[in-house]
Amino acid sequence: METIDRYIYAVTQKLPQAQRKDIADELRGLIEDMLEERVGIANIKESDVEDVLLELDSPNELAEKYRGTKKYLIGPELFDSYILVLKIVLIVVSAGIGIGFLIQTILDPISILDYFIDMIVSLVTSLPMAFGWTTFSFAIGERSGEVKRKDLIGQEWKPSDLPPIPDEKRQIKRGESIAGIIFYAIFIAFLAFSSDYFGIWVFQDEFTGVVPFLNEQTYGSYLMFIILLFGFGILKECLKLVSGKWTYKLAIVTIIVNAVSMAAIVFIINGPDFWNPEFMNELAEAGVVTVGSEAFDIVNKVWDQLTFWIIILLVIGLVWDAVDGFIKARKK
Amino acid sequence: MADAKEHLDKLLQELRRGTITIGVLSQLSEAQYGYSLVTMLSEKGIPVEPGTLYPLLRRLEKQGLLDSQWDTNEARPRKYYLLSKTGKEVFDLLVVEWKSIVSSLNHVIENEGDEKNGDH
Repeated sequence: METIDRYIYAVTQKLPQAQRKDIADELRGLIEDMLEERVGIANIKESDVEDVLLELDSPNELAEKYRGTKKYLIGPELFDSYILVLKIVLIVVSAGIGIGFLIQTILDPISILDYFIDMIVSLVTSLPMAFGWTTFSFAIGERSGEVKRKDLIGQEWKPSDLPPIPDEKRQIKRGESIAGIIFYAIFIAFLAFSSDYFGIWVFQDEFTGVVPFLNEQTYGSYLMFIILLFGFGILKECLKLVSGKWTYKLAIVTIIVNAVSMAAIVFIINGPDFWNPEFMNELAEAGVVTVGSEAFDIVNKVWDQLTFWIIILLVIGLVWDAVDGFIKARKK
Repeated sequence: MADAKEHLDKLLQELRRGTITIGVLSQLSEAQYGYSLVTMLSEKGIPVEPGTLYPLLRRLEKQGLLDSQWDTNEARPRKYYLLSKTGKEVFDLLVVEWKSIVSSLNHVIENEGDEKNGDH
């Protein structure tokens, strides 16, 4: 009776190793009992076997009943936050790509068809990716969260254990986090899809070109870092959104994320030729400033000092962000 | 009416799922194997699918309400289930609870009828 063997195999292979043999033996007994009741011991035909198996549940259903637990990627407890974050991520990615397209089209209306195709391609590749990564992150959260929930079961619950309603100062405003995520996403989209326009826009009667801030030769190799950097920022805002209030844990995570971001920024900006080495010359060529003029000297000075000040500003910003988190977490 | 029938089926299914355990426990003061239980219960007007009963038996065993033993002397090896000591206690308590639920619900249903009759 090969069909019976195959049915039993299909059921038991979805079950834990330790239970397989026992359940297989019991199922075989059941199927033989059912067959015997229907057609007797002799003359069992293949079609009889199939009838009996059809009367039982499908192997998948039966195995699920034996397991007793529903298997899922993201459980009901995380589902609401998951949907919220997923919505934001998808909207932001679409908006970022759309804005990229708009900027490109405004600057260069003739190539609108190319840009449009680019946009569609970006949407088709980016949206599933965003969906996948969001789901993946939450699935990880679900897996690691399971341990905690198990620990909680069985403990007596007292109304006095209820967490206090957080002070308004500790609460993280949803709008702020969402705005942060949108800002990061737009920046990523802008840098990734139209880095050529990140610079001084030169208008002489009409738009004539851009003097880019960044070195176009080396930019490609930095792009991954930059996207990762803003990706970290988005992750941080998502955590804030899910948490809803400042806690020490959140503050510590913020510090770690900010430290990593800071290291990456210092690395990028200090790297060879991150900035456009021809910036001043191109600026002069574009006719914005004249070589030798006072304005040229000032711009030149600013340009030279730029790296230093950007680092200072970023470090202050990131340190403040982390310290702020701690101060708010401490408030009772 | 097809709609009402659909709702009825769903509700009945839920109701049966909850009560099947009592039916199973009630038959296991003597050892039975899975399929004999299926036959027995359906003869007594409690139809149950083998695909529901077999996993249920294992679950009750795991919870300690049932003991089990393989009988390999017959032509076909069979796993026999029997109420454990805890199982017996639980069953007795369950019966008391069940009766009280039945009487409360009967009371509620019948009073509902009375009130309606009284109103009109």
